[in-house]
Amino acid sequence: MKRGLSIALAAAFLFPTLTTLGGCARTKGAITLRVYNWEEYIDEGGEGSYVYDMLAEEGGEPDEADAPSIIDDFEAWYEETYGEAVHVEYATFGTNEDMYNELQLGNSYDLICPSDYMIMKLAAEDRLEKYDEEFFDKSVEENYYVRNVSPFILEKFQTNGGLATRDCLWSDYAAGYMWGTTGFVYNPQYVSESDLDELGWHAFTDARYKGKITAKDNVRDTYFAALGVAYEDELLALDPAADNYQTELTRIFNATDEETVANVYPILLDIKKNIYSFETDTGKADLVNGNIWLNYAWSGDAVYALNLAESGEDEDGDKTASVLLDYYVPKAGTNLWFDGWVMPKGANKKAAQAFVNFLSKPENAIRNSYYIGYTSVIAGENNEMLDYAKYLYEAEEDAEDTVEYDLSYFFFGDDVSILADRTQATRRQLYAQFPSAEAISHCAVMDYYRDEANVRINELWSRVKAETLDAWAIIVICVTVVAIALFIVFVKFGGKIDFFRRKPKEGYVLVKQVDADKPQDDA
Amino acid sequence: MKLHFSRKMLCIPYAVFLVFFVIIPMLVILFYAFTDKELHLSFSNFIRFFSDPTKLSTIVYSLVIALITTVACLLIAYPVAYILARSKIKKKYVIVLLFVTPMWINFVLRVNAIRELFNLLSAQRGMEWLAGSNYFKTVFGMVYDFLPFMVLPLYTTLLKIDQSLYEASADLGAGAFTTFTRVTIPLSMPGIMSGVTMVFLPSMTNYVVSDMLGNAKVTIVGKFIYEYFGTDWHMGSMVALVLLVVVFLSTWLSGGFKAEDTVRGANL
Repeated sequence: MKRGLSIALAAAFLFPTLTTLGGCARTKGAITLRVYNWEEYIDEGGEGSYVYDMLAEEGGEPDEADAPSIIDDFEAWYEETYGEAVHVEYATFGTNEDMYNELQLGNSYDLICPSDYMIMKLAAEDRLEKYDEEFFDKSVEENYYVRNVSPFILEKFQTNGGLATRDCLWSDYAAGYMWGTTGFVYNPQYVSESDLDELGWHAFTDARYKGKITAKDNVRDTYFAALGVAYEDELLALDPAADNYQTELTRIFNATDEETVANVYPILLDIKKNIYSFETDTGKADLVNGNIWLNYAWSGDAVYALNLAESGEDEDGDKTASVLLDYYVPKAGTNLWFDGWVMPKGANKKAAQAFVNFLSKPENAIRNSYYIGYTSVIAGENNEMLDYAKYLYEAEEDAEDTVEYDLSYFFFGDDVSILADRTQATRRQLYAQFPSAEAISHCAVMDYYRDEANVRINELWSRVKAETLDAWAIIVICVTVVAIALFIVFVKFGGKIDFFRRKPKEGYVLVKQVDADKPQDDA
Repeated sequence: MKLHFSRKMLCIPYAVFLVFFVIIPMLVILFYAFTDKELHLSFSNFIRFFSDPTKLSTIVYSLVIALITTVACLLIAYPVAYILARSKIKKKYVIVLLFVTPMWINFVLRVNAIRELFNLLSAQRGMEWLAGSNYFKTVFGMVYDFLPFMVLPLYTTLLKIDQSLYEASADLGAGAFTTFTRVTIPLSMPGIMSGVTMVFLPSMTNYVVSDMLGNAKVTIVGKFIYEYFGTDWHMGSMVALVLLVVVFLSTWLSGGFKAEDTVRGANL
């Protein structure tokens, strides 16, 4: 027996050692690149990936192995290009705040993909490495990012998206990955576009959508929406042709002073009363099964939801009814957001920048965009992304009711457009994935909340999310709780105090209580 | 020094676990709760907590939700456990097993299933009031989720009660009701207490249920802590600390620390 045990123990100790040895041998001499990205935010290969679907479309019967993930491809490409092996350790996060906490706890990564405001926060806290100057040298073959990135994105990154704070420039610290707007995904069976035109942000508080609209369960997006409701008139009154239009728009959507917060508080309460739920990822399903009519969403998720609802399958591939959903951007202006790659202090800059460049190869950007539904920042030197958009959304030549959808702002060249169905160009996938120049002109980027504003807005959010009782109610309840507690204390310990001890009735003698659970000696 | 193996050494793994995963984390919470951003000693979180009606209200709301959940669980579980424990049917454990099996299925899955069920009822079966009654749905989900934790300890304590005690009670002239109130309930008190602790405490913090079934419009103290840890660890730690004290007090008052009285879990 003993021998058996010791063999088992020895085996248990040896086995992991053997596997680690094996693991070491495989990646011996390889450098490690630790990438920290959003969940489901990269082409993971296999079914549903671009390569796989293209093979299937050509009539082949592809294997999962025929469509490797971007990461596998990167490892192969890196070794081929730079002659050294690299091993990518890929981890994911759910929110910017989770990611920030991980960094706070001392976890180190080489490359992270936070959103715009978090990039600014990290840069302001001096936690980031700058990109090398070489990274922006267009003459180098491997610098795919700088050669392929859309001029629109480049301009936004060089001006911090039009924000007033320019002490740390995004372009120094970050390279773009995905971008988009926020807006409403809605079911046109119940909600008409003209109603939305009339209501704008007020859809959140309008009684006709009571219990049929959702807001995001995070303070940033919902506060932004509430600002839209609160200052809709002022926003609409701004003159888009004026020089200071962008500045004013951005200022209104980033106001966090006490007066604004006080104004927004009752609106947030109205929103809470009117909405079906604060959601993080249940909105899509609720929309498809008819629980709600409107879902406030990021454009990438919108594309995904529109595709999914149209396909007549749910996320698990089960059959459902095919529903046509639409996407709407409030006329008063909305949020323009970016996710970008940053390198924390101490990162392996060479491999990290190579990874960004690899992702920026037009074919890889298309693969990622296809897989996750979001819009890549890459336009492609020869507008490869435009060909992809045309492949997805271009109308037949003889189709009726088409429009020339102008995308010159995003792509290289002066007169770039797609001939598209009017619905595609005004409210469906094309409009969600590549917003119109008109929609873009009304967009504001979100700044991060500075210390005091951060506290103020957290308190605001907790007051909105939680119910607040009146002071007297709290006092009454506290007193009751204390009274109950005292009562229990009396019952428990009262017996030990003579005063509370029950006197035996006349003629009876008090005997020691017998514990039923314990066997008695005299039994 | 020669190392002698003694039985006491078997405690070492647990002691190490205790230090690293219970004591140190608690000290860290205590540290964060009473420091400010620059990690200087500060009582501002403490003052802010107790001067903010929202935070106190959240604690009160969580207490009330937990209380209703516990009472509902007790009312459902006690008769079931009583009947099961006293019935003469063979293979009772199969029925007990049926109560326990849901615990083996991932809890998020179960809550999701209930969510879909509610959606179905409200959207297609005309029960529209369900869509808006987030507190009801939250409590329902919690009761469903924590019921096995109530059934099991009750069942094991009730099973342990000696049949002859019931007979003795009948011999002495007590009716069925008196026997129940004077014999069964007092003797099953340890089971009730351990069931109550196992239901009450988690239902104050289980915000997965309140998020998924209450559409995140119901905020209990667990969610509060989670949200603060996204932005302000110090306040989050303070809320966690207050919760810890509340939990400690309620456990102490319900006698949960008296080891010989409690029957935790069951031997299936």
